[in-house]
Amino acid sequence: MGIGDKDASFQFPCTIHVLCLASPQDPTIQASVSMYKKIIDIYGHGGEVCIPESTLSLDSTQKMFCQFFEEHCSPFHGVLECGHLECNIHIFPKPQVYSKSHDFEDVELEVCHNIKIVGFLDTSDVASPPFISRHLVFPLPPQTANTDAGASDEAIGDTGKIPSFTVLLHGSLKVENMVAICQVGSEWYGMLYSWADPHKKKSNLMLSIFEPGVKSLPWLGKFTHLAPHQIFTASPYGEDDNKTPFPVKITEKRSYSLNHVGWIKPAGLQADIQKVLRHARKLPEKMPHFYKELNRVRKAALSYGFTELLDALSAMLDRECRLLPGSAHPDAALQLSHAANALRTEMARDITQTITPMSTKYSSIINEAR
Amino acid sequence: MAYPVSHKTVFVLDHGPAMMASSKENIDFDVFNKSRGPGIIPLAPVTKSLWTCNAEAAVEYCRIVYDLFPDDKLVQFVASDTSATSLNSWQHKQQNVQKLLDCLVVLGPPGHKTDPSDCSIVHGLTHAVEVLCELTEKQQDVRLALEETETTLQNKGRIICMTSLKSDRHVQSLQEAVQEAIIQHNQLSANADSFMPLNYCELVFVHVRPVGRKSDSISSPKKSVSPLLSVEVHVTDSGRSVATKVVGLAQRHYELFSTTVTGIPMKEEQNSGSSANYDVELLHSRDVHLEALNSGNTEGLLIQSKEGLPSQSLTLKWCTPKSNIMELQNCVGAYRVTPVDVNSRPSACLTNFLLSGRAVMLEQPRKGGTRLISHMLASHGGEILIHILSSTRSVLEDPPSISEGCGGRITDYRIHDFGEFMKENRLAPWTDQNIACDPLPLQRSENHLERMTRVWPIAIGDTMIFNMLSHLDPLPSLIVKDKLDDDEVLECKKAIYHVVGMESRNEPLPVPNAGLRTKGSKREEQYRQMWTELETLIKVHVSNSPQHQKVLDCFTDCHKTDGGNTSTIKQRDEAIMELETDLAVKELDTYQKLTEREKFDFNKGNSLSQPQSPPVKKIKTESFMFKPVPSSSSPQSLHTMWTNRLKAVHAMRHVEFAGRQESNDNTAELYPKLNETKSEVPL
Repeated sequence: MGIGDKDASFQFPCTIHVLCLASPQDPTIQASVSMYKKIIDIYGHGGEVCIPESTLSLDSTQKMFCQFFEEHCSPFHGVLECGHLECNIHIFPKPQVYSKSHDFEDVELEVCHNIKIVGFLDTSDVASPPFISRHLVFPLPPQTANTDAGASDEAIGDTGKIPSFTVLLHGSLKVENMVAICQVGSEWYGMLYSWADPHKKKSNLMLSIFEPGVKSLPWLGKFTHLAPHQIFTASPYGEDDNKTPFPVKITEKRSYSLNHVGWIKPAGLQADIQKVLRHARKLPEKMPHFYKELNRVRKAALSYGFTELLDALSAMLDRECRLLPGSAHPDAALQLSHAANALRTEMARDITQTITPMSTKYSSIINEAR
Repeated sequence: MAYPVSHKTVFVLDHGPAMMASSKENIDFDVFNKSRGPGIIPLAPVTKSLWTCNAEAAVEYCRIVYDLFPDDKLVQFVASDTSATSLNSWQHKQQNVQKLLDCLVVLGPPGHKTDPSDCSIVHGLTHAVEVLCELTEKQQDVRLALEETETTLQNKGRIICMTSLKSDRHVQSLQEAVQEAIIQHNQLSANADSFMPLNYCELVFVHVRPVGRKSDSISSPKKSVSPLLSVEVHVTDSGRSVATKVVGLAQRHYELFSTTVTGIPMKEEQNSGSSANYDVELLHSRDVHLEALNSGNTEGLLIQSKEGLPSQSLTLKWCTPKSNIMELQNCVGAYRVTPVDVNSRPSACLTNFLLSGRAVMLEQPRKGGTRLISHMLASHGGEILIHILSSTRSVLEDPPSISEGCGGRITDYRIHDFGEFMKENRLAPWTDQNIACDPLPLQRSENHLERMTRVWPIAIGDTMIFNMLSHLDPLPSLIVKDKLDDDEVLECKKAIYHVVGMESRNEPLPVPNAGLRTKGSKREEQYRQMWTELETLIKVHVSNSPQHQKVLDCFTDCHKTDGGNTSTIKQRDEAIMELETDLAVKELDTYQKLTEREKFDFNKGNSLSQPQSPPVKKIKTESFMFKPVPSSSSPQSLHTMWTNRLKAVHAMRHVEFAGRQESNDNTAELYPKLNETKSEVPL
């Protein structure tokens, strides 16, 4: 494959590390190193080139590999805390440093070694939140986290019988179908939950780390504003645990839930006109709907400065009036010509005004009924 | 750190009389007459003005921006005729489509009577430069935050000017005016509080001409005029094309990409029995398809936008929703979406379906027929997001089970109790901005957890008291509170006296079946351990409030750790007496508050049962005894209570035998006259 050839890249994210078994004095090494660096850049997910120090020997090679393992393969040990309950843990894979340039701020954060649970949520309430990384959380026996890790393997047989908060937490999260929200750094949060492999045979405690920030999951509100539910006068989960305070509703509705009027495509305009017409043909029964739709269309026309439409609508209502069958209610004709005339007046161009039904015997009955 | 140009955009709308010219695009609005017979002549089509088309396009741009980036992407409208008018401000509450539409109504269409020679787009452009120098709420916050780090905020913005341009020279003179305005306003705003010099401005002209008009080729790609200013010119027909053009610009300005959801089953409007498949095109951040676009692995997925956008769209197939959608998905990103054509029926059907709370999986059609679920559409709190689902392999495959590790072989974890604990510690959003929550809600959550876990044994075999909660309730759940009221203190005391009573009667403690990991199986040992645990529990909470101290005092009165000498027993008896007096006084209080009717019922109830009602807690241990126990001295069994009750009920229905009523010693004498008459009967 040629360098710089985009098609040569892998179809999944990967980091490339190159450990050279060559003497740093080798005259060709510089050329090779720069080529390797270029490859790493093309893949774009990071990586590095290592060369043995001084001369190529057993010692220097060993040292190079040891350093590499130290940096990339050393386990991440920490403490899982939930109030006074705690447990030494091993997090795999090792959480990476978060370093990203955002609008208006650069963020560089490291996952803290104390993973602190701040409370719990129902799985349905967190609703599949996006995470930046996932990690398995393994419990460790109380003392080994600080001592020599090498000895722990042999001791495993005995540690199985030491009660571990992590195992309890996993069991309860699984049974109750809940997640634990935890703080993993400064203004940085994640969640712990029971995760089973696709065959559902073996389950484990998983840590998902969210995008840093207190507002990274809008439907949970701000993380810093998550309160114990006891401090509310009425329980947000209801007396019988039949409600939920989530998701947190957005304050400004989006256009798709606003009945937004848009006439960029003729179909949009035609559909709105059709609505007015449908109600017009069922006058006087549909009188309130007719005037509501008429004013809605009128307001949109005024917003877009589309005054020609008001005249066209007026002509259309006049025609509807002429086409009324003989069996029609006399009020239908009255209301249609009233609305058609109103659309032609100056008042129709004044947004503070509303076209209201003509007062007839029938309309007063309707009004009283309402 | 990036200071995006897209943070602030000013739309300069030409509001001169020339804009009232027709767009020359006819729109048939009278189209639904086919079913009404042949006699109807459709009404003449209407045409929009250039102004109407421009306003629609600009509003559509804002609709997309506000839907997708409700926080940090701001747009301001400026109308330009004989002077410049700002329709809204950078303030967050003025950043919504409804506000813009309301302002457009007030502004009205360009006036016919205005003298065209007085009108100039330059007014609007210079005003746009001025408003770009105004700091937004976000910029003010950032400027404050940056002061500490000694870096300075970069103030950048974009002007989109919708007008009709006469020639290249016209463009030239306008860009010079803008350049001049930037230099002037930068001087003015150098030392102002809420203003800041403009570091960079992107000026975008959209030259709009009526449909069919020959093109003057003044279109030009983006070029830099000075370090402060770049200019580009776009030419478009009016009518629908202008909106397409402007939405295309939005796609570029905010790096948007389009997804077409294909094969959405929908009931036909006319014929509700049948259903057909529809497609809906959505706009969202380009990041949604970053992986696919970067890898170039989009063969067969990209189509030309069906809604006529000047871009491609990635197709994803609708998967019929399953019921188990509420499981946690492997979601690696979530971005807001908005339909390209928000008014169409298929769009409305899709958005309403999602807003009702259901989620839809989206599948990438692949060569060879393999299925790959790559995305999910779901709504959260009123907005719709597309979730990216992880489909690549990960290092987390085939992990060991948690039961194979540390603590995995223990079988008596208090799983159920911790489940209850988690429910007790569920979080809820503190949404009321008006009521300050001090300390911060999350801090309160942590404090709550801290209190609740001071004593929390994790295995059944580790604890005595949490296995006998039926005897101690409600003390363990009350003592963890940060405050206790008098009633709650009384409840705690009662619980303590109850176990004191158990000990004095030498009742066995409910030892867990699993076998205690601690030593000692003798009853005294168990009681000693129970008392130690209970003391720890009460002591760790003693500083919560003065009321907690009362509970501890009661505990120490009842259970002196230095052994059971006579004085302690005496003290304990005194304490119990005191409690009973307390209870009696309380009962009397409640009694006096009752109405006559309630008093009657109360008395009747009392007369039905024995005066000394049994302690509730003991029912559990004594319910196995069915033989009636002689009452008065020892507590009643359930059986005696039940028989007493039945007796009392029967007694009420019973009419006393008249003979017994008249008799002296409760025994009626039968045939009292038998002896008398015998002697008197005449033979």
